[in-house]
Amino acid sequence: MPSLDTKHLGRISWEPGSEIDFPRGLPGFEDRQRFVAVHFGHTDPLIFLQSLEDSALCFTTLPVRAVEPDYRLSIGDEDLVLMGLPKNRQPRIGEDVHCLAVLSFKEAAMTANLLAPVAINLKNLKAVQAVAQEGGYSHQHVLLAEEKAAACS
Amino acid sequence: MLMMSRREGETILIGDGIEIVIAHIGRTRVRVGIRAPRETPVIAREVKLVRDENRAAAATAPLPTALTGLIARLQPASAPRSGNPV
Repeated sequence: MPSLDTKHLGRISWEPGSEIDFPRGLPGFEDRQRFVAVHFGHTDPLIFLQSLEDSALCFTTLPVRAVEPDYRLSIGDEDLVLMGLPKNRQPRIGEDVHCLAVLSFKEAAMTANLLAPVAINLKNLKAVQAVAQEGGYSHQHVLLAEEKAAACS
Repeated sequence: MLMMSRREGETILIGDGIEIVIAHIGRTRVRVGIRAPRETPVIAREVKLVRDENRAAAATAPLPTALTGLIARLQPASAPRSGNPV
């Protein structure tokens, strides 16, 4: 089983067929195309997207519907084709694609990028971070603001 | 901001090097052609937002152990929705 020493997650190993292929990388990381989705029971429902080409590159994500239960995909045709999916029909979350929101940790708040969720075709593991065509979703959807976090702890 | 009205097929010039053509006007979208020098990056604003957001997210990737507090808060919130597919 292939394995990798990573900066954030320690040593990880994965099934050879479970690698995720981003044919165009992710915006800002266009040359990073091979990832694995890592999760640990004690950190569920978080999913870590670990680059296999850069041991220090890891995105923390959540299933998009854990953030927004009614989230609706609006992926453009070009991105659908990159994933090997038919045009003019949105894939179903959980049936055709996994859909993850990338989290960002800032001083003021933790935010989720709902404008551009990562979609992974479940059949061939081809993935894109697709900018939503509609829906008015934010790239900085506030998940947990600092005051609220303090109040809960 | 300078506002201009243009019809389909008409062009706007910016400086000497940049040309913007209104290629097609649809019901809810406009198709725009852009001719610019190779060294001038042209991207949709959303793509820049996502790029910057990804860089920020990667720079702050936290250790799983540092996420314990976050997970404790998330799990009760997401529990009632556990029937939803991910």
